[in-house]
Amino acid sequence: MKEEGPLIESLTRRIAETPAEFLLAPRIGSAGDVHVPAIVNDTLRRRGITVPLPDLAVFAGRDPKSDRVRLSITLLACWLLADERLELTPGDLGGVLTLLRDDATELAVHGAAARIVQDPDRREELARLTLARLGLRPAGETIAQAQDRLTALSSAERARVLKASRQAEERARAIRAALVRKAAEESADKWTRE
Amino acid sequence: MMPSTLSDSDRYPTLTSAGRELLRFMREHPHAPIFRNESGNRLSADEVEQVRALEREALEGVIGWQPNQPPAWMKGFVSRCIERVPAYRGYGTAPASFTDLPTIDRSDLARDIAQYVPDDVDVDRLINFRTSGTTGHPLLVASDPLVAAQYLAYHKRALRRFGIELQHGRGKVGVVLIGTQAQCFTYVSVTPTMDESGLAKLNLHPNDWRNVDDRARYIDALAPEVIAGDPLSFAELERLGITTRPRALLSTSMALSTPLRRRFEASFGCPVLDLYSLNEAGPVGVAIEAAGGHVLLQHRMYVEILDSEGRPIPAGKRGEITLTGGFNFCLPLLRYRTGDYAALERCAADLVLTGLSGRPPVRYRTMSGEWINNIEITHALRQLPLSQYALHQDAAGDLRFIFQASGVTAESIAAILVTLFGVNQRVTVRGPVEFDAKVVQYTSGLPGHEP
Repeated sequence: MKEEGPLIESLTRRIAETPAEFLLAPRIGSAGDVHVPAIVNDTLRRRGITVPLPDLAVFAGRDPKSDRVRLSITLLACWLLADERLELTPGDLGGVLTLLRDDATELAVHGAAARIVQDPDRREELARLTLARLGLRPAGETIAQAQDRLTALSSAERARVLKASRQAEERARAIRAALVRKAAEESADKWTRE
Repeated sequence: MMPSTLSDSDRYPTLTSAGRELLRFMREHPHAPIFRNESGNRLSADEVEQVRALEREALEGVIGWQPNQPPAWMKGFVSRCIERVPAYRGYGTAPASFTDLPTIDRSDLARDIAQYVPDDVDVDRLINFRTSGTTGHPLLVASDPLVAAQYLAYHKRALRRFGIELQHGRGKVGVVLIGTQAQCFTYVSVTPTMDESGLAKLNLHPNDWRNVDDRARYIDALAPEVIAGDPLSFAELERLGITTRPRALLSTSMALSTPLRRRFEASFGCPVLDLYSLNEAGPVGVAIEAAGGHVLLQHRMYVEILDSEGRPIPAGKRGEITLTGGFNFCLPLLRYRTGDYAALERCAADLVLTGLSGRPPVRYRTMSGEWINNIEITHALRQLPLSQYALHQDAAGDLRFIFQASGVTAESIAAILVTLFGVNQRVTVRGPVEFDAKVVQYTSGLPGHEP
């Protein structure tokens, strides 16, 4: 974060204005619209970064149920990385891959790319995370301010997700318990049984 | 009997004195069986009206979509699923193309059914239907009394195809459900949307009766308008020699061959409706001879036929039946692969599942080395009134056949199989035998048996 990057607002606006093509379904197997490894490769090559083939493979995905959301965020991050106000060099490969692969997987727990686009806090979090992975901080902020703001955004979201997942697990437990209880108890009338 | 915490007012919230009298008649009849359980409709007065409205919609609903063209309601349905159902929420956003949505199958539901129950479903109202499963995944299906009550709407839609409008109401028995198992859930109830006509779920197994002759006497005394069951139970009912004449038989749970259906129709003097019905989705289709297969019944259900890779197959080609939608709001299905196989075609105003086979297709090797599809075996055996059967080809190519039927000899079955497979084919035929659960009809241990 030693270097200053663009204003944070310019990046969050870019995320808010993400073109529909970057929000299409990632192609996994024979389903989906966008071939994510190709987008990653093209985006970074245009910015002077060559991605080794084995690193690209992880963006192909295997299971639509588990990979679709993280890859949708990878696509969104590619749209952000294509912003020429961000200066990229071949030395950024490690940080960029961490963003597209690991950070996208973590952010996927919070919701899909569309949610990031719609939610101001999530837009800011992705913008700040992207800058941080490139060793940059938002223009006009000190290193400490930039770090504090990113931590605050991430902590608040983690707390929200934790609470939501706790509530979801409690409900799932209640459903399972109700079904088991009713199994031993009573059902309701159907005119045929399968 | 399991101890119950519910009272009659929980089971039948709108029960009138006429309904109470009918329950008493069914429970205390001198020839009544030993009822093992208690259950009821559990519908409040408001819900009874709701079921009536939903029934009108189900009876009039048009199934106007074409194969491989999702209907107009699909977009909203998919959005609601992704918004409200934990498992589907993980998909992120709805893809532009419906066919880009992942498919699910019984193993997904069996892993944790709770993930498929929408956020806004009232847990306190949840009930379940247990299903033994044919693919090795026993399942508790989440449901609600409102869902269970809606089955009748689709039965009525099916019955209309046979010119039957149900008439039994107050003081009469609407339906008797029969099973023939060592253990079976049995009880009596009333159907409020039919002016409290009676419902009795019976087990024809002698264990449940004080006197085996009571079975026919009791069913004759109830004189139900409809009898529901499976081919094995109907065969048992046939042996009992009941004299009452239902207006229709509803057959579910296992394949019903044409000769057997015709035999039952002759024995009971009424149409026999072969329903394709799943615990996960309710009645999906009814066999209509003139349509050449099972005509779809649900106006809010979309059916796809997929190949083994999950790709849609052109109309008329055979593949796995995959369901989206349905009336069970506790378990909205999004591209649910049923494990059953058929082709889907439009036939005039109907959408028809043709060549329905409720098991994964298996190939069998004949003596000439040619592989034949299990559907050919179904066709070859269609001439025999088999209640239930299973065929296995072992790793050496030998055939083992077990069956349940009356009036069918092992020799006639062996002769048909040898004609199909070649003169030197080794065949062991055993039967009639008791099947204690849904059997996997076609299996093979021979490498290459999968299509």
